[in-house]
Amino acid sequence: MGNGHETLRSTIEKHFARQVESLTMCAEFQALESGRATPDQYDAFIENVARAHLRSPQLLAFLYALAPPAAAADLRHNLLEELGLAAESDRPHPDLLRDLLAGAGLGGRLEALEGQSDADLRRIVVDPLLYGTLREVGLGALTEIVAFEYMLSRVSGRIARALGTHRGIPAPALEWFTHHSAVDVRHAEQGLDDLEAYVRYYDLTDDEALTIVELTLRENVFARRYFRDFVAPSAAEGRR
Amino acid sequence: MKLVAATVYALRIPFVESFSHSATDRRWSDSVVVRVRDDAGTEGYGEGAPRPYVTGETVETMLDLLARELWPGVAEREVPTLDDFGALTAFLPEIRLAGAIAPHASRAALELAVLDCALRRAGRPLASMLPPRRPRVIYSGVVTAGSVARAVEHARQMRAIGLQHIKVKVGFDDDVARVAAVREAIGPDASLRLDANGAWRFDRAVAVLAAVERFGVAAVEQPLPRGPAEELARLRRAVAVPLMVDESLVTRADAAALIEAGAVDFVNVRISKCGGLAHSLAIAELAGKAGVGVQLGSQVGETAILSAAGRHLAAALPSTAFVEGSFGTLLLAEDVSVESVRFGHRGEAPLLTGPGLGICVVEERLRRRAVAVRELTTGG
Repeated sequence: MGNGHETLRSTIEKHFARQVESLTMCAEFQALESGRATPDQYDAFIENVARAHLRSPQLLAFLYALAPPAAAADLRHNLLEELGLAAESDRPHPDLLRDLLAGAGLGGRLEALEGQSDADLRRIVVDPLLYGTLREVGLGALTEIVAFEYMLSRVSGRIARALGTHRGIPAPALEWFTHHSAVDVRHAEQGLDDLEAYVRYYDLTDDEALTIVELTLRENVFARRYFRDFVAPSAAEGRR
Repeated sequence: MKLVAATVYALRIPFVESFSHSATDRRWSDSVVVRVRDDAGTEGYGEGAPRPYVTGETVETMLDLLARELWPGVAEREVPTLDDFGALTAFLPEIRLAGAIAPHASRAALELAVLDCALRRAGRPLASMLPPRRPRVIYSGVVTAGSVARAVEHARQMRAIGLQHIKVKVGFDDDVARVAAVREAIGPDASLRLDANGAWRFDRAVAVLAAVERFGVAAVEQPLPRGPAEELARLRRAVAVPLMVDESLVTRADAAALIEAGAVDFVNVRISKCGGLAHSLAIAELAGKAGVGVQLGSQVGETAILSAAGRHLAAALPSTAFVEGSFGTLLLAEDVSVESVRFGHRGEAPLLTGPGLGICVVEERLRRRAVAVRELTTGG
């Protein structure tokens, strides 16, 4: 971890914070927020957000199955919330994404996007496994879910404002973003605790865990999902 | 069977993260894909990766050569029955490109497309021409350049995936520290190779290789720039680390000269660089007869098409010391086939058994990721 005083949790949180900064500093995000993006770019962004999260309940169900005892209650709660069965959220989150698409006049794209989300999920299942056991696969999946919660808790309000202001999407259709802005602060905090609990329960060393976190996030996991043509910055810029 | 149409796609598929070495820095795939169609509507796909610093080709020269010379040389001609690679070699025109070593990426793209199309038409897998000698292929990982810290991070990720063979890019001021750090990160059991991409001069090569020998280096790839074989032979005599050639080896004549000079321990055969499967096989055979080891290399940013061809070749060669490629979506934001060709844990990947190259290319992805598309017909 490079610094003996850092905990695994704080090191992971720093990774997440760097990823959030990378997202908000990337040209695509700034164009979106400033109103410089084209109508097609706003539409592509909305579609990519929907594609990235339409099947989140399935991923959460998978993670609940792998949850260590100390994290099981949190993950069960998150799953129920995604399904619209918890107190804070009376509608399934995929329905909020459908509202977003409809509010943006993209309701006709729903079927295709659901197909793409299914294909994304299928690929996770059929692709050769990179890791030797399910504990590493689960840590990668949990890392990604918590990283998105962390990012959304800090950025989704800005995204909602941008889409409302520059794309003219009515406020009710932006509930998926405003909900995550409010709720994911707590989710992200819990998620970091859950990540640490997962690592301890499954006997991963801190170095092993951080390597999987880094491999999962790579240079900018958020930009890759939300801006499909995102080009990573040059590695040469970081050379000595 | 006659070929009646072709489409050429110049791709720009972003990388998940940038990849660099001493000669270049890549952030997207710039492969050129060729789709051919025969008179029965059967399609086949091939791919070449232009590298100005290797074969002398660019995307533009590939588009031009394919449209102007290669496609007219095969269009409307009867494609021979592909019982062996000799017939295929005879079918494809031998071309030259002024100022280039050889326009091999262009040739490889067309060769693979014709092969894929003809085998699909016959309902045969490529394995019927390249019988596999092993049930799976085991791939190496490659550690990108950049800071030493980044190299170590990459090396740890490769260890987490379980890769058994790892190559690290060198050719910088901190080479010795870099190799030491990567060796520490991957542990003593994984094999470690270096790739200088021709960045060193003779004295620097001797000094670095002497200093890193203690880290257990299985081979160093392209320590010197492409040049006289005798210079490499002199280096080989001066150092204990086995030498591998990459940029120095583009043609069969290169291979013969390097072997004759006693300049190499390994050759890095790459399908795009060497001009296709037939030429690659010929070079590998030459090396094998001379007792020189073969690495089947790849192109950074290659799509599933070149990876699939590489998988077949790697499975079929009598012996491969190392195999690279099949990074798929570990590197590309999106690959072009329905099936994943990416290797899995420990770098292992299964054989491809479907007709032709054994993958199903999604044309819509090619079109969406293309910066240029050229339709070629029999009318020119």
